[in-house]
Amino acid sequence: MSALLSIERVSKRFGGLTAVSEVSFAVPEGAIYSVIGPNGAGKTTLFNMISALFPPSEGAIVFDGQAVHRARTHQLARLGIGRTFQNLAIFSHATVVQNLLVGMHHALKANLLSAALFWGPARREELAARRRVEEIIDFLEIEHLRDLPVGLLSYGLQKRVELGRALAVGPKLLLLDEMVSGMNAEETEDIARFILDIRDELGVTVVMVEHDMGIVMDISDRIAVLNHGSLIAEGTPAEIAADPAVIQAYLGRN
Amino acid sequence: MRTGHYVESYEKQLALTTNPVTWAWTGALLLGLALFPLLVGNYLLSVAITVGIAAIGAIGLNLLTGITGLISLGQAGFLAAGCYTTALLVADYGWPPELALLAAGFVSALLSLVIGVPSLRLKGLYLAITTLAFSFIITHFLLYAEALTHGPYGVRVENLRFLGLDLTQLDQLFWLVLAVLVLTVLAALNLLRTRVGRAFTAIRDHDVAARVMGISLTRYKLAAFMVSSFVVGIAGGLMAFQFRFINVDLFNLLISIEALAMIIVGGLGSVAGSILGAVFIVLLPEAVRALTDLLPAALTEMLSTYVYEVRGLLTGLAIIVMLRIEPHGLIGLWRDAKRYWTHWPLSV
Repeated sequence: MSALLSIERVSKRFGGLTAVSEVSFAVPEGAIYSVIGPNGAGKTTLFNMISALFPPSEGAIVFDGQAVHRARTHQLARLGIGRTFQNLAIFSHATVVQNLLVGMHHALKANLLSAALFWGPARREELAARRRVEEIIDFLEIEHLRDLPVGLLSYGLQKRVELGRALAVGPKLLLLDEMVSGMNAEETEDIARFILDIRDELGVTVVMVEHDMGIVMDISDRIAVLNHGSLIAEGTPAEIAADPAVIQAYLGRN
Repeated sequence: MRTGHYVESYEKQLALTTNPVTWAWTGALLLGLALFPLLVGNYLLSVAITVGIAAIGAIGLNLLTGITGLISLGQAGFLAAGCYTTALLVADYGWPPELALLAAGFVSALLSLVIGVPSLRLKGLYLAITTLAFSFIITHFLLYAEALTHGPYGVRVENLRFLGLDLTQLDQLFWLVLAVLVLTVLAALNLLRTRVGRAFTAIRDHDVAARVMGISLTRYKLAAFMVSSFVVGIAGGLMAFQFRFINVDLFNLLISIEALAMIIVGGLGSVAGSILGAVFIVLLPEAVRALTDLLPAALTEMLSTYVYEVRGLLTGLAIIVMLRIEPHGLIGLWRDAKRYWTHWPLSV
């Protein structure tokens, strides 16, 4: 398997604080890859750099053969990177369908004038987008919610809509930032099943930051462990579980 | 309760409405409005024209403030830009009013880029202050660039023929305003059901997520400013037709506040709400005037001396009351009422 995403000696400093320090790893195409570590280890900072919310201080991020660490945030959707956020970042006034349609933004072409006229191509592309959104709704089993404002849904369902919105981008790589935090066991299991289906049926590579060790150990192909901004271990779940550096970071000495 | 009405295709789902009853009511409303000039006197007709123009302006502002979440206190500036563009092009440069009205939209839209660019970094109150400053700069320019704008003497517009309509006749001006309003409503509703409208609301609700979804903040914030100011500029151009003699005093701070009041009272982010708000805010002083005729003479005199202050007071009161009882505005009240009656007697 070739690497879809490679992190190459990436560092990020905020003033005197080094949040991420010389981290390197490669995510193979078609993998489910987890990034774990104690609070403040730099996982979300790393995610924000991959989604170009800010550039790394040093190092390179290469996605699909292209250096993306200097890209503008809004260009990543077109390149094929979708993501969800640690804290809910849905458009809560809009309905489920409208939220998913926002994810398709880059795939549509209407400009101000053609949108105001809503004629010909502008109308046809909206129809096509509406059809595509229905496939995602089907996939995530949220048919009964499609016309509800997302703000009215339960936390777990809101996260599921956010996942759907990231899928609507049509990504090759999906970044999931603490998808299951705050979910009950059943909701967590649902999400785990969806992540496996996303990889197996849609062929999307998944990178997730996660605290829930159950889901990490169960579905990850490989795991990277960060502590205080540095990569302390990288490998398969079995290797990580046995790694003395990881055990020390999580449990302390002995 | 309405049952048995199912949407069976995506075409129908994208339509503005598939309900024949809604179509019938809309048709009846438009017919009634078209016949309105035949039924009422000149005074009511001129009030109706004011309402129409205010509604166009309010829709424009709502696209920016209600939909995209960029607060603007610059409404007076954009109205002034549009109004002066039309008036000067017709009066001094002999342009046909049709083109001069379109030009009002374009000039206003171009000017909006001037505050659109700083808006990329400003949010909330800071943006409000910037737009307010912009509005003052515009009126200051209009007052002192005398060679171009006639400064304090104002501009007089004559011989207004628009696509065969004689705009000096109130009924024909009313039809023009009505037509522009209908076009504005359609354009706004269309925008809102495409990727452009969704990008606007996405920026309002969560700008980081919007960027990650592929929406360029630069492009869409500027687009929101331009669309909004285009519409407001057109409303300003219509004001030139309505007043036919214009000067800077028409475009004071109260105009911007009233425009904000219209969209807050009517319903932020709602096209229909903008219209309801415009009707409400324009008719409020009229209703008060009708009521004060019933009051003792001394009180009437006082109220007419301070008419400007009373208007400001009423606008402020309307905003406060509406925010207290229904933050979604008049359109929210309407939706609640509709829900209540469709579910009656099972409604709570």
